[in-house]
Amino acid sequence: MAIIEVEHLNKEFKIAKRETGFVGALKSVVNRQFVTKEAVKDISFSIEKGEMVGYIGPNGAGKSTTIKMLTGILVPSNGSIIVNGIVPYEKRKENAKNIGVVFGQRTQLWWDLPTIESFELLKEIYRVPDARYKENMNTFSDILGLGEFLNTPVRQLSLGQRMRADIAASLLHDPEILFLDEPTIGLDVVAKEKMREFIQEINKLRDVTVILTTHDMEDIEKLCKRMILIDHGQKVYDGDIAAVKSRFGKMRTLIVDVEENGVDLHVSNGELMKEEGNRKWIRFNRDDFSASDVISQITQTHNITDLTVEEPEIESIISRIYQEGFTKEEVPVKV
Amino acid sequence: MTKIIEYVRLYFRLVGAGVRAQMQYRFAFIMRIVGMVAAYTGTAVTMWIMLYQFKELGKWNFYELLFLFALAVLSWGFCIILFFHFRSLDTYIVNGTFDRFLVRPINPFFHFMAMKFDIGAAGQFIFSILVFIWVSNAIDIHWQFGKILFLLGAIIGGILVQGGLLVFISAIAFWTTKSERFYWVVMYPARNLTNYPLAIYPKFVQWVTAFVVPFGFVNYFPAAVILDKDTPYFSSYIGYFTPLVGIVFFVIAYYVWMLGLSRYKSAGS
Repeated sequence: MAIIEVEHLNKEFKIAKRETGFVGALKSVVNRQFVTKEAVKDISFSIEKGEMVGYIGPNGAGKSTTIKMLTGILVPSNGSIIVNGIVPYEKRKENAKNIGVVFGQRTQLWWDLPTIESFELLKEIYRVPDARYKENMNTFSDILGLGEFLNTPVRQLSLGQRMRADIAASLLHDPEILFLDEPTIGLDVVAKEKMREFIQEINKLRDVTVILTTHDMEDIEKLCKRMILIDHGQKVYDGDIAAVKSRFGKMRTLIVDVEENGVDLHVSNGELMKEEGNRKWIRFNRDDFSASDVISQITQTHNITDLTVEEPEIESIISRIYQEGFTKEEVPVKV
Repeated sequence: MTKIIEYVRLYFRLVGAGVRAQMQYRFAFIMRIVGMVAAYTGTAVTMWIMLYQFKELGKWNFYELLFLFALAVLSWGFCIILFFHFRSLDTYIVNGTFDRFLVRPINPFFHFMAMKFDIGAAGQFIFSILVFIWVSNAIDIHWQFGKILFLLGAIIGGILVQGGLLVFISAIAFWTTKSERFYWVVMYPARNLTNYPLAIYPKFVQWVTAFVVPFGFVNYFPAAVILDKDTPYFSSYIGYFTPLVGIVFFVIAYYVWMLGLSRYKSAGS
């Protein structure tokens, strides 16, 4: 049986229309006009126990709204949600015992207190038995290296340390499901890697179901087999990540600055996408050519003063999927 | 019952953490206490200057007036300790940090209330207790058991009336996102009004402070009972209703807050 079952989920917000200018402002005070915005439109999916699913989409696509409905913070306008056999918004408190939530941008720890105090308070709030608390703290200290900053006030932690503490805090009560809203945002490469390892380990060790939103394609690639992609509140894709990667993730963009002015750059192994003065954007397929192939071809005729190679960003992949779509034969959409 | 004990235990755990957090900023903490004592003493001096001229105000002399003032300050002190965190609810909603209280397996009203325990109110206690002692000596108030019990009831009622209004104002933030301005429009005038005996105000104002925003019960009605003063337009027994008024008003405020919460859950912020 699926641990999360979402059917025809809808969420509408009424937003007060704001008019510009003084007269407009006055008008909206006297006669407020509302526009209905559909943040989530008819989304359905089901997630099995132990799965790690990437829930992604561009800003404002409806990711957070969905997560808020799954965690019981928001009540859906329409449709049904069942999380671990419970309707989250009806039995919010009971649901809270089964889930762990990390909002990458906002800590759930007590800002002014030594980190250990937050853990002890959460132990009380969730009524974690002493023995289990000790056990968990040992495990998390081992994998996350919490020991080095347990006595430091949260406000003095580095972002990486704070995120590690936050994720440990969300797992203290042994939740079945973990919601991670941008868990690697703002972290440096090493901290990101550590975070991913921990998430993976927890998933393996305890069979915790993980739902993850992120803007970092690497998070998804390294952690999830499956992704659900949404845009403008609608589900665009639900299925294997490998398929998406092999189709859209192999394109790279080479950005070069050439020394000469006004050159007409032609490369046979890539496609010139854009140019601004001396800077040129060239897209090439990683499977066909390596970056050095493309670079060496350019250096034969021009002097390069600077260059970078960009991986495709999740946004561009999403917009390509959105434009081109998937046909059923290519990638089976899980229902 | 065990649930209540659990909540009380949790309350003291959370509150203890809040106190330790405040002690991280010791200088600010001490300055606040000093500042509060200075501010209230300032008001008391103003009263004295005024009464020096008029001898009495609405048939209340200087000492009685001081008692009236100190009673309001004392329950306000407790109110700050218990409920002042509600004043920052709108900031939590604007920043999106309020969601945290909804993903935990406890009552969000309780959780929010227990997040801060403002011990800076020591200033209010120092001031009001000193005044009580002084005034009791000056005008011979005899504190027998019955009177002390009545005073306790009056303080609890006063805490609940003022706390209820704080809760009520904070709940507005669930609809409008911002609620700070309501604090200045409702709470601030109500508190200032009760610095003086309601008897000096027009009937309409007295009626509002008795039955709409029941700040008359914070100090005027109970002080009139203790000091044996007349309460024109109202029965002289009205002060005995203080605890009941406090409870009713607070319960209403709590339900309005919960109603606001359910609106928040369906509309977001």
